[in-house]
Amino acid sequence: MFRPKPPLFQCLRGCLCLALVLVTVMANPAIGPRLRSGKFILSDEDRAYWAFQPVRAPSIPATGDAHPVDALLAAKLLEKGLKRSESATPRELVRRVFFDLWGLPPAPEDVAAFAAEPTDEAWAKLIDRLLASPHYGERWARHWLDLVRYAESNGYERDGDKPSAWRYRDYVIQAFNRDKPYDQFIREQLAGDEMAESMPPASEEWKDAIIATGYFRLHVWDDEPDSTVVAEYDDLDDIMVTTGATFMGLTLGCARCHHHKFDPLSQTDYYSLLSFLRSIDPYGLHKTGAFSRGTGKITRALVAPEEIARWEKEKQQRMSAAETELAGAADPAAKAAAEGKLKLIREEMPPFDTALCIAENGPQPVVTHLLARGDAQSPREEVALAFPEVFGQPTPTVSPRSAGSASTGRRTVLADWIASPAHPLTARVMVNRIWQRHFHVGIVPTPDDFGHTGLPPSNQPLLDFLADEFVKQGWSVKQMHRLIMTSRAYRMSSRTQDPRAVVADQDNESLWRQNAHRVDAEVVRDCMLKASGLLNPKAGGPSVYPKLPPEVHSTQDAAGKGWKDSPVEEQNRRSIYLVVKRALKIPLLESLDFANCTSPVGLRPNTTTAPQALMLLNDAFVHQQAAALAARLRRESGDKPESQIQHAFQLVLQRLPQEKELQAAQQLILAQPDNTGLESFCRGVLNLNESIYVD
Amino acid sequence: MNPLSSHHRPRRQFLWEMGAGFAGLALTSLLEADGFFGKAQGAELPSDDPLRPKIPTIPTKAKSCIFLFMFGGPSQVDLFDYKPELQKRDGQTVDNEFRRQQKSKATLQASRRTFKQHGQSGLWCSDAFPHISQHMDKLAVVKSLYSDSFSHGSALLQMNSGRILQGHPSLGAWMNYGLGTMNQNLPGYVVMLDPRGGPTTGAPNWASGYMPAVHQGTVLRTSGEPILSLKPPGTMTREMQRREIDFINELNASHLSTHPGASELQARIASYELAFRLQETAPEALDLTQEDPRTIEMYGINEPKPDWHSLALGPSTFGRQCLTARRLVERGVRFVQIYSGGGGAGGQNTWDGHHGIEENLKIHCPEVDKPIAALLADLEQRGLLDETLVVWGGEFGRMPVTEMVNTGGKTGGRDHNPKGFTYWMAGAGVKPGTSYGATDEIGEAAVENPHHLRDLHATILHLMGLDHKRLTYFHGGLENKLTGVIEANVMQGVLA
Repeated sequence: MFRPKPPLFQCLRGCLCLALVLVTVMANPAIGPRLRSGKFILSDEDRAYWAFQPVRAPSIPATGDAHPVDALLAAKLLEKGLKRSESATPRELVRRVFFDLWGLPPAPEDVAAFAAEPTDEAWAKLIDRLLASPHYGERWARHWLDLVRYAESNGYERDGDKPSAWRYRDYVIQAFNRDKPYDQFIREQLAGDEMAESMPPASEEWKDAIIATGYFRLHVWDDEPDSTVVAEYDDLDDIMVTTGATFMGLTLGCARCHHHKFDPLSQTDYYSLLSFLRSIDPYGLHKTGAFSRGTGKITRALVAPEEIARWEKEKQQRMSAAETELAGAADPAAKAAAEGKLKLIREEMPPFDTALCIAENGPQPVVTHLLARGDAQSPREEVALAFPEVFGQPTPTVSPRSAGSASTGRRTVLADWIASPAHPLTARVMVNRIWQRHFHVGIVPTPDDFGHTGLPPSNQPLLDFLADEFVKQGWSVKQMHRLIMTSRAYRMSSRTQDPRAVVADQDNESLWRQNAHRVDAEVVRDCMLKASGLLNPKAGGPSVYPKLPPEVHSTQDAAGKGWKDSPVEEQNRRSIYLVVKRALKIPLLESLDFANCTSPVGLRPNTTTAPQALMLLNDAFVHQQAAALAARLRRESGDKPESQIQHAFQLVLQRLPQEKELQAAQQLILAQPDNTGLESFCRGVLNLNESIYVD
Repeated sequence: MNPLSSHHRPRRQFLWEMGAGFAGLALTSLLEADGFFGKAQGAELPSDDPLRPKIPTIPTKAKSCIFLFMFGGPSQVDLFDYKPELQKRDGQTVDNEFRRQQKSKATLQASRRTFKQHGQSGLWCSDAFPHISQHMDKLAVVKSLYSDSFSHGSALLQMNSGRILQGHPSLGAWMNYGLGTMNQNLPGYVVMLDPRGGPTTGAPNWASGYMPAVHQGTVLRTSGEPILSLKPPGTMTREMQRREIDFINELNASHLSTHPGASELQARIASYELAFRLQETAPEALDLTQEDPRTIEMYGINEPKPDWHSLALGPSTFGRQCLTARRLVERGVRFVQIYSGGGGAGGQNTWDGHHGIEENLKIHCPEVDKPIAALLADLEQRGLLDETLVVWGGEFGRMPVTEMVNTGGKTGGRDHNPKGFTYWMAGAGVKPGTSYGATDEIGEAAVENPHHLRDLHATILHLMGLDHKRLTYFHGGLENKLTGVIEANVMQGVLA
């Protein structure tokens, strides 16, 4: 488990990675991944690495378990002489399933209903109900957004907006809600524009395919880099790293300047893969408009080309009319009026919805060279289109494109390979991500790294069973949830029931119980909104700019730059709709380990700090929510503190207070002056460990 | 271990999770001191707290670092890098690279400042810094630095995080990661901003990048509420907050009793106690009324805002921040960064002297001169200079030629120059009274002992007791380091 810190090996200029090792690891091959060095030669051992083997459905051990997941886990438990923990209580289960699928607490009635009839049928029905709600996509899309380092601004000096980026966010939400097959989800993001060429323009599927390619535009982008050539390769590398980690659990960036130090990926593999992406028109224009960095085509109108042509023609006609009017203007006043009119028409923007999306410049690919030491100024031999050698794929061929085609068609080939049922990593990586969100640790505990620098699967038969089922069931993410969540294992208690288990497997590696966990930053905020009753369930659309204290804006280089507070009623929408601005994160979310938004994050850090406590005690948003919850208690349960306290416990924790808790709450309410007691109590309840930790 | 964390996660991941406090350190020792971990519960103490104080790998007296950041890029040829040849050739036309590989004809512009040698060391300093110049014998002035970017955004990121790309941990984060914290009641990494605004790109300059958020800088204000959300809004008093926390932790304790050994839950209970304590310790650290009036005077804190220029502040703000920095390092804060200059780059609100270097110096030099001189004297007098590294500089330097490109032909300004610029260091292990390296005869590019800024980072880490080659953080499949992948070297010439 523990990897030693090796001494460092220096590689050359321009490389973003850093690898190392020699002495320690070479001296003791038993610890840490083995360093590759010298000439790149693929060995049989390289090819035999577990993650590059095809997925094969394992045989299900006969353990007496009805559910294959339980049987596969039981085999592991048996090795350690352990057995599965008993089921969690109905209340714990309902909270677990709500937090996992919606990122919101259940209503007290949801708990009561299941507690009255805690059967397998009721459980399956509950899962179906939650999966059918739009709240499901609002939670699960966020996990995906972490991976693609979603943000709505470019970072750097001007932190310029990424126009219409929110449509990509809504696309992801919809994809989860509609259970878009995962292979299609991959294809649309990587090659939606190429797929769209054969779809009816402006149809829903066409729009989806265009919007999905916003994937390529989410990276940080410097509009004033020191070297535009270097910057172009940096941006492409950012896309490579994200594509490798997100879809395949590969650390491709490590092969940019030299062969990968640990995985069988050569520098040629890197540039061959890069050649699939090399023809993307770079993000945009330099700040000064000079230095030719792409044409700046990062958005597209979501209508048929004829409609745009019609609008342009109509605009031209109005311009002509205005020009005639100007020519015939009799006096200065008429002339000024006509000039003004002409100017307005000239500046009119097309009145169509737009999407942030990819663009290429025709069917002719841009040539890709291997760059010596990753240095953009040191191109070497031209590389051919190829998948990494270790995958043993035939040379890919791109079907011929028509001369009028907008792109090379190369990304379709890349997408087809990644989304292929035969790809050894794609399904494994995704089912591992889904598993991780249900057990709070992946079967492969390093979700973005399935290579030698990651950790091996704790239960490969289980991983392979899930991956195989995933493909068999049409890449349905919702089916994966159902499969995992109907297991007994998912429903285990997170508590230690058997003291012997702690001795045998203290770290719960064999999953003899569930893992309790703190909920994510967004969920903490959304829970408060739900309890206070202020949650605005409006779905989709442009992002919300929450009101922040002036001190927060003062850390920007120009206070308030690019920030206009959204209307009050918008402020209380779910956290996924809050704007993600790279230069100005929302402090409440950031203090609770919000994603870094610059690199793929399959697993957020989970820190406990004093500033978090300060934020949750004193932030203006928290105070508003506590006040609203207090008002709700008064409204819904009258003036009697006891009823108010009970109601608050039900809303936040879905249980009644114990006698001791009731007394403590009553004391607090009485002790606080000026009628502030109830609000203080509400804030207290929202701050409880029990509120943000799920058993 | 406990039910709320798992060794199933990679060890490094797991290590992140144990943080608590500003000062993850701390919590565990605090809890231990408070007898919080009942032995009966069999709780294992998380000895892997990310901010646990660590023993430096290189012997050093240094404990803290104060980084004085002159945002905009101070002009070396007008301050410390005296160039007689430039003074002689004022007005001559030369070829000048004003942006990467963009050459143009430009006119040499001699400094309008007067230079003198100072102290025993005879180090040069111009009359722009009449107070700092009295401390030249304490400084090691490095005149031969260069970096990779002509533009503010990426140059700032590089000076702070070693990379021109956004998303990497900053120097202060590395220091806290490598050394841990010395005071669990204060943040280990404090940033103070210019009242005119933050630096270009804002918070990513003090971010923890791919490290957990416990390592990121905390913005501290010297007026108003020092830390965001430190105090409750409205009329809530400390007693009222105490009661609320008591209620929270009473219920948390009972919740914990049903989750024996859950160290995350324990840490979270402690974090509320720490938060409460912070409300006293943070304002106390900033409370300058405890200082001798002569000290206040020395830092220039009571000097009025000048009225000759709307952007000029005088020494009051930076003085307050420098004195606060001294108080913070006295209390064990590891890394303090103070920005002079703020709001968007390009105007006279920062050291970005495109539009007239003389006016720019007249605005900014007096703002920092007296405060910095006072800081050096004050640290020395208290015996703190030995254990405090003071670093001064900006994201790049400025050109020896007159600005033409960005000012529409108006002369008198100076453009960005990452090819040769000056930093100085003082205190902790620095060889005092040293001039190290040189630019060419007109002060444009580093030629003698040239050092990329990664060498400055390596040197700063070295002085703080950290080996830049061994201070690594695992992310994205790789061991990353502040100085990146190209070999970096400690500047031996500035070490005592």
